[in-house]
Amino acid sequence: MKVSFNWLKDYVKLPDSISPEAVAEQLKLSTVEVESVENLGVQLENVVVGKILNCGPHPDADKLKVCEVDLGTEKTSIVCGGSNVAEGMLVAVAKIGAKVKWHGEGELVTLEKATIRGVESSGMICGADEIGLVWFFPKKDEKEIVDLTKLKFKPGTPLSEALKLNDAIFEIDNKSLSNRPDLWGHYGIAREVAALNSRAVVPYTVAAIKPGKGVIKVEIENAENCSRYMAVAVEGVTVGPSPVWLQQKLVAVGQRPINSVVDITNFVMLDLGQPLHAFDGKILQAESGGYAVGVRGAKPGEKFITLDEKERVLPEGALLITSSDKPVAIAGIMGGLDSGVQISTATVVFEAANFNAALIRKTSTALGLRTDASARFEKNLDPSLCEMALAKAVKLLLEISPGAKVATKIADAGTVKELKGSFEVKADFFTRKIGVKIPKKTIIEILELLGFTVKSKEVSFQIGVPSWRARDIDCPEAIVEEVLRIYGYQNIPGSLPAFSITPPEENKLRTIERRFSDILVEELSCTEVYNYSFVSAENIKNLGDDASKYLELDNPLSKERPFLRRHLLNNLLENVKRNIDNYSELRLFEIGRKFLPELSGQRARQNSDELLPREVNWLTAVFAGKKNRNFFAEARGAAEAIFRELNLELKLEVPKKLAPWLHPARSGNITVAGKYVGSIFELHPKTLKNFNLDCSVAALALNLDELIAFCGHEEKYEPIPEFPAVERDLAFVIEKQVLNTDIIREMLGQSDLLRKVELFDVYEGVNLLASKKSVAYRLTFVHPERTLTTSEVNEVVEKIKNSFESKWGVEFR
Amino acid sequence: MPLDVEKFESEALVAIAEAKDRAALEEVENRLLGRKQGEFTLLMRGLSELAAPEKKSAGARLNELKGKLVEAVNQKRAALESAAWEQISETEKVDLTAPALPPRKSGHFHPSTLVQRDLENLFTSMGFAVLDGPEVESDYYNFSALNIPETHPARELQDTFYIKGHNNWVMRTHTSPMQVRAMQKYGAPLRVVVPGKCYRNEATDVRHEHTFYQFEGLVVDEGINFSHLKGVLEIVAKHLYGEKTEVRLRPKYYPFVEPGVNGEVTCFTCAGKGCRLCKNSGWLEVFGAGMVHPNVLIEGNIDPQKYTGFAFGFGLTRLVMLKYGIDDVRLLESGNMKFLEQF
Repeated sequence: MKVSFNWLKDYVKLPDSISPEAVAEQLKLSTVEVESVENLGVQLENVVVGKILNCGPHPDADKLKVCEVDLGTEKTSIVCGGSNVAEGMLVAVAKIGAKVKWHGEGELVTLEKATIRGVESSGMICGADEIGLVWFFPKKDEKEIVDLTKLKFKPGTPLSEALKLNDAIFEIDNKSLSNRPDLWGHYGIAREVAALNSRAVVPYTVAAIKPGKGVIKVEIENAENCSRYMAVAVEGVTVGPSPVWLQQKLVAVGQRPINSVVDITNFVMLDLGQPLHAFDGKILQAESGGYAVGVRGAKPGEKFITLDEKERVLPEGALLITSSDKPVAIAGIMGGLDSGVQISTATVVFEAANFNAALIRKTSTALGLRTDASARFEKNLDPSLCEMALAKAVKLLLEISPGAKVATKIADAGTVKELKGSFEVKADFFTRKIGVKIPKKTIIEILELLGFTVKSKEVSFQIGVPSWRARDIDCPEAIVEEVLRIYGYQNIPGSLPAFSITPPEENKLRTIERRFSDILVEELSCTEVYNYSFVSAENIKNLGDDASKYLELDNPLSKERPFLRRHLLNNLLENVKRNIDNYSELRLFEIGRKFLPELSGQRARQNSDELLPREVNWLTAVFAGKKNRNFFAEARGAAEAIFRELNLELKLEVPKKLAPWLHPARSGNITVAGKYVGSIFELHPKTLKNFNLDCSVAALALNLDELIAFCGHEEKYEPIPEFPAVERDLAFVIEKQVLNTDIIREMLGQSDLLRKVELFDVYEGVNLLASKKSVAYRLTFVHPERTLTTSEVNEVVEKIKNSFESKWGVEFR
Repeated sequence: MPLDVEKFESEALVAIAEAKDRAALEEVENRLLGRKQGEFTLLMRGLSELAAPEKKSAGARLNELKGKLVEAVNQKRAALESAAWEQISETEKVDLTAPALPPRKSGHFHPSTLVQRDLENLFTSMGFAVLDGPEVESDYYNFSALNIPETHPARELQDTFYIKGHNNWVMRTHTSPMQVRAMQKYGAPLRVVVPGKCYRNEATDVRHEHTFYQFEGLVVDEGINFSHLKGVLEIVAKHLYGEKTEVRLRPKYYPFVEPGVNGEVTCFTCAGKGCRLCKNSGWLEVFGAGMVHPNVLIEGNIDPQKYTGFAFGFGLTRLVMLKYGIDDVRLLESGNMKFLEQF
């Protein structure tokens, strides 16, 4: 919304020393977001009114004239090519040093003294587009210059002053006004500015309309949708251009002047924030004489052609203004093509109404039609504004159109004409909420400047809320805000609350997230990624999963990614695809939520049976690179590192059921105490192909929610062995299908002296049969009571060799 | 005693003195003093062949000699060692400019994780619990419980993702739903922060993301007031941007707080003088905050007559972008290693 500083000053008397920028800053800190302040006069510096004293031919060019121009304090000679330049004309002269746009195009250029075809020219007689005033002086032909003759300005007057363009325009962010219906007009903003400068706002006084004899009948179908509807007819109107002052006001805030009646409705809206509508009276004439207006909801499929010449299908229930049941306007949004005021209009019916905010918003959203009026109505306007707005509009019309007279009584239908609010607030309430004592006198002064009434009682205040604030001031705390923001947030020093030193409850999920990601990043060179929670149907299909199991967005931003992930893997595979061309190996992980609609999560509200979908926290890491590398081992290594941190033994089980993306021989479920907590697997080559990945990928997936239960395992001290341990390495070739755990179990079973067996090397390949592997184990022997002898150890080793020879046919050399 | 002890001594001392390095010295030592075949050892053994009176004087002489030899060897060893130390500045030189081999590459945390951890640490140090909430939320907790009724314009300000088949399930648009969940679960007094992933149905571009992270805080207790809100926010601001950072509050409407403010901090790149980052205002908008609306306390089963509270929310994503000077929000969820490996 654009707000004119000069317009504000109609309602608040500010000393000249207060600049528009200072006021904008006050508003920013206490009321609304002022995005910019534009000084209109700046562009017109060094542009003044000039009078053409003499206009002679140019000696060397047919289309140019040499003019002698009176600039008040001086006379100068200017070469001009304007098509309408004539002696005695008042024109806009850009003096040397002014900034102009050549032929209205390109960057601003600083004007210098020039010689045009041999004749000296000190300045320029401007066309409207050269000084940015096209909206004020529309051009009829290309070479036309601005003609100020009718405006009778004195030569030498700065143009900005003459045109009242010595104004500053605030651009206010509409979003910051969304809860303040009272600020959608200049008067409301002026009230804030006044309070911020400890001044009273100039009272908005309009004499009541002297009613005519005729009647306007108003019929409201549903009072809930229209709490107030006022209307009056004015006859004998002459519609024409508005007076200059009115056009100037509108133009300053970016409104295009149209005609006197429309301009009046726009002016009143910008002044008070109350949108008005002006109908051509003959449209609303009742058969029984006088005028009649109806307010009703649209019927299913009802159509209507709006002012902008578009036929629109109305959403059912959209509020309509009707004449004999025929729509003449969409209430609060836009008038009809045929019902508006024309140049020929002689009778005007003004409407000032209050419509249901939610309904206006709903209709305007459904129609995709937002107007200055709908933007205001949907903020829940004060119904008491109608009266003032209507009176102002009528008063202006009678002034502007001298023959006009009020033809009817003032219709005032509806059930709510004014809003009220009142709160009794304890005297210390403000101090308790703010933490700083603001003097009682100051509190009362601030509230009264904002239009509240304050009755001071013994230990409390009785505070009356003005009609224009009754909707947003809905609790005593809201009154605290009023006092605070005018008093100034900057005047409240910060302080710290005193708390009990009770330590906070530990977030165990966060604890293991941190422990695990520390290991992955710092020890295992993994990089953390954040991915969207949304996945595409194609991605799910590529994984080999079933999209019907997924939660789906009703209104996805991109139609391609409507599903809520059930795995972190899908997105990680896309991450691999994105990066693998630039990196020979990738180690990526993500910690995040999976959404499982088949399981129950948190309650949708307290004590309700409705449960939200289960969200489970998982960590998934992927290890990817060249095809011949064993990434399964790397994924397993990551799991081992994490389990070491938890002081847990890593156990893998062959999955009972294989998901389609799992490698059939390289997938294992991780279990702790019999509970499934995650898995380590390589991706099935088919899945890799679906994702267009020409590399090998292994993954580690851990259910963090399950692992929380196991992260508190205690570590206990064991006595340091008194007698030295003896180590032996044992290498042999064995069938591949013999599992490491079976080998270890077999060895440990041979003697109590053997305490630990660790695999330290595996080799498969060249020089070995395809079915064989070469393995090497480190055996640790300890005797609890004495030092072991070589022969004792040898004996156990021999025993192991014998059992391996008989059990698995292993040959030892 | 057939041997000329004097000669043996002088030759032995010369041999020790002439040893070129530790190995040579050891060889000499071994030749002279070796336990089994050392020349001196043999000499000592020869003593047994002597008669008693001779034996005594010769024994004394040999013992004296042994002392001399051992001393000479030790001295020589010390001298050789010192000489060797003189050399190490040349012999043991390393290239100080060469990196350790083999190269060990560390991984990378996501920048949002780094900022989130930092804030979590700050708040836990002040006694706040860290909570997480559901990302698929009921419209009750996301809106209604927060004083945002069905018809309120605030529902229009944030365009929300809804879940198909469940018209009252939404992707949470902020972390604030946890305010009421926390109040219902823990009651007052309450001190919590809630970091988390949030969603808005908003087209993505350089500055907008449909998926982003917030960091919410909530304090409820007896006697909590607006000045406390400002004090806590000042602590956060100084923690993030340095001791001289100031906090500026301006009115801002959020239905779940009253009064509601929008918080700015002194721009850290220009120290408040005005620059491109702060659009010449000297201030950076980083949070929304306010005193918890009594209606919200009531939804959380907390008596607003007895307790008051404040809440604040930081755009975690925005803090990350400001901290690292990231100019395109989409990079954060791009999974692009060229971006991630910078952190």
